[in-house]
This record gives sequence, C-alpha cells and structure tokens, in this order.
Amino acid sequence: METLLIFFVLMGVGYAAGTFAEKRHYRSIHTREQALLRLPAVTTRTSHYADTQIESADLVLGSAVISVDYFKQFVAMLRKIFGGTVRSYETLLDRARREAVLRMKEVAGDAVVIVNVRIEAAPIGKKSRKGNVSCVEAVAYGTALWLRPS
Amino acid sequence: MKYTPRLPVSEVNVTPRSALKEFVLLAGALTGIVVGGYLVLGLAVDLIVPRLSVDFEKKLAGAFFSALESKPGRTEHERWVQTLTDRLQARCAGLPYRLKIRVQESPAVNALALPGGHVVVFSGLLNTVASENELAFILAHEMGHFNHRDHLRGAGRALVLMTISAALFGPDSDISAALGHVLNITELSFSRGQETAADEFGLDVLQCAYGHAAGATDFFRKIPASQDPGVFGHYFSSHPENQRRISHLDALIGQKGYETGGENTRG
Repeated sequence: METLLIFFVLMGVGYAAGTFAEKRHYRSIHTREQALLRLPAVTTRTSHYADTQIESADLVLGSAVISVDYFKQFVAMLRKIFGGTVRSYETLLDRARREAVLRMKEVAGDAVVIVNVRIEAAPIGKKSRKGNVSCVEAVAYGTALWLRPS
Repeated sequence: MKYTPRLPVSEVNVTPRSALKEFVLLAGALTGIVVGGYLVLGLAVDLIVPRLSVDFEKKLAGAFFSALESKPGRTEHERWVQTLTDRLQARCAGLPYRLKIRVQESPAVNALALPGGHVVVFSGLLNTVASENELAFILAHEMGHFNHRDHLRGAGRALVLMTISAALFGPDSDISAALGHVLNITELSFSRGQETAADEFGLDVLQCAYGHAAGATDFFRKIPASQDPGVFGHYFSSHPENQRRISHLDALIGQKGYETGGENTRG
C-alpha cells in the first residue's frame, strides 16, 4: 500500500513542480524571443545581403535538454493505451526547440541574420522496462552572417 | 526581399488543454475498462467452471501446485487425515477427485480446498478439534466445496483479475499487489453463500459416515468471535456469522431427522 502512496506523491510532485517549471520557462522564452526579434533566423540558404557586404560567416549552435516529469510521463503512458495526440509531451518539445533557437541566437551576438537554420530533436536517457524518466534534446544550428562596418 | 521579424501569433504546437483533465479522463476510462473486463470475465468464469472437466482441472492445477504433489515424507498426522478423508470419500462423498491431504505447520485454524483435489489442513486446526467427527465434518465441508466447484470459481476470478493487471502493469507491479488485497475481500464475501451449501453437503456426508450428525456444530462453537485472521483467507474464522451457521445446521438436523446423540469417536 505504501508503494501506491509513493506513486501518488510522485504524481503530485511531478504535476506541481512540472507545471511551475513550465510556466516559468515559457515566461522566459516569451521575453527573450521579444528581445532577440531583431535577429532573423531563416531556413533559406542565402540572405538578401550582397557578398561584398558580408564580413564573416560562422556556424552557430544552440541546444537545450528538457526533462519530462513523472506526471506527464504517466499521462503519456495512458495515452499509449488509447492512442491519439500525446498532448503532455507537446510543451516539452516546444520548449526544447524554442530554447535551442534562442540559445543559438544568443551565440550569434551581433550578427545580422542566421541562414540555413535547422532544428533537430533526439531523446536522451535509455528507455528501460521500468520506464524511468527520460529527456528530450533539441539542437538548432545555422550560419550567422556578420556585415562589414560601412 | 525584405525580412520582417515577428513573434508567432498563436501557439499551434501546444494544445491549450489541462493535462490534469486529460489524466482524469484517461485514468477513468482505463479503470472503467478494467472493472468492466473483470465483471465480464468473472461472469465467464462462472459459466465455464461447471463445464470444466475434472481431468482438465488437474492439468491446470498441476502447474500451480506441483510443489504440493512432490512433497516427500508424509507425517503421521497427514496419513491419518488422509485415511479419514479416503474413507469419507469412498463411502459417502463419491467425488470425481482423488483428494490429496497436505498438513501445513501453521497456527492458523483453517482448511483450504485448492484446484486439483488438494486439501490443505493447518496444524492449528488439528490441535483445535477434539473428536474425529468434528474433523470429519470439516473435511466433508471442504468436499462440499469440491462438489460445487467453489475452489475453481475463487481461483478463476482471482486468476482473471491478476491476468488483466499483469498484462497492463506487469506481474511484479505494486498495482497488481494492491489489487490482490482488494481481491481477497471480495472473494470472501462472494463465497459466503457457498459456505452454507458446503455445510449442507458436509452434514449429509457426516450422517452417512457415522449414522448420526454429532460433532457437526462443535467446531463453530469453539471459534471465539475475535479469532485473529491468519495469512490465508480463513474459511471458518473469517465468518462473524458462526452463530447463524450453527442455527442453520441445527435446523437442518431437525428437519432431516438426523440423530445427534451418537458417541463422538475419539481422535
């Protein structure tokens, strides 16, 4: 019976802490996205700047690892029985991707544009029979361009 | 090409829905399915049990109780109870089983009827009974369970629930263990009506074997109301309604005109 109690405590802690961390993270994402709006990150391979204007081009990379909480994982486990959209993992991946892009932009500093941006995601933490808590990593990378001082 | 940076207007990648609501919905649906499945399969067990052949039952039981089969070195107690059982079985009960007695060292005052014709008698019970007639009634009561195949019904329902739980959560999971506890309670209340039927069968066997029904109610009179329930589900002491069973047996003895004045055979 006490193992059942531990389960409910883990669920409660997972829900409370997970929700708190998520809300805080989204607040941070929204502010930083606003602040970094001046730096475009695009998927095209070229920019509208002429070659002569460009001083340098360099790889910029940002990555973020977000862990799933116990509550989200249990809901996803239930979802696996019935099928359908796994909503509890949506925020997880969304946060990881946006955080990775933000970090990439922060690395780029005073570049004018990041071209050829790619975003990839991968699970981290071996999935075992016990179903231990796993994480997701998102990597965003692209080519940042700096202009010559005119 | 002019690039105008802007923030996403809507969060399309995140569904605005409470995860707690989803959890309640999914967990509720799952619980409903498990409960529904248990009821349906429990019903199926009740339909199947009367149609199961004794041979098939022995095969099923072989897998679970092979430890009981292969136990070497029978004690004197065990041989004596076995002889008594064989005599009741041959002369009066006539069940299609070869009943195998196993005496288990335990203070529990109890006996169990298990699939495959196994009867487990706890040594605590042997220490409590004073006469052969008293023990004979208890053995005949267990034979009544075999006759009505209650032992399969109990094991069948338990088997069904544990199978569902093991399939969903794994056989060693805490949820399976917790369900096991709940199961015991329901199976006990489930078997109460069957106890009465087994009592009636036992009474007839006792009358047939000894020519009188003395000792039938002796055992129930000894069980104190506050008997500590042991490790296993008690057939006898788990029933707070011993008085009701005594009255029922007494009424039946009167109705059938059985004698109770006969001499108890010393055990």
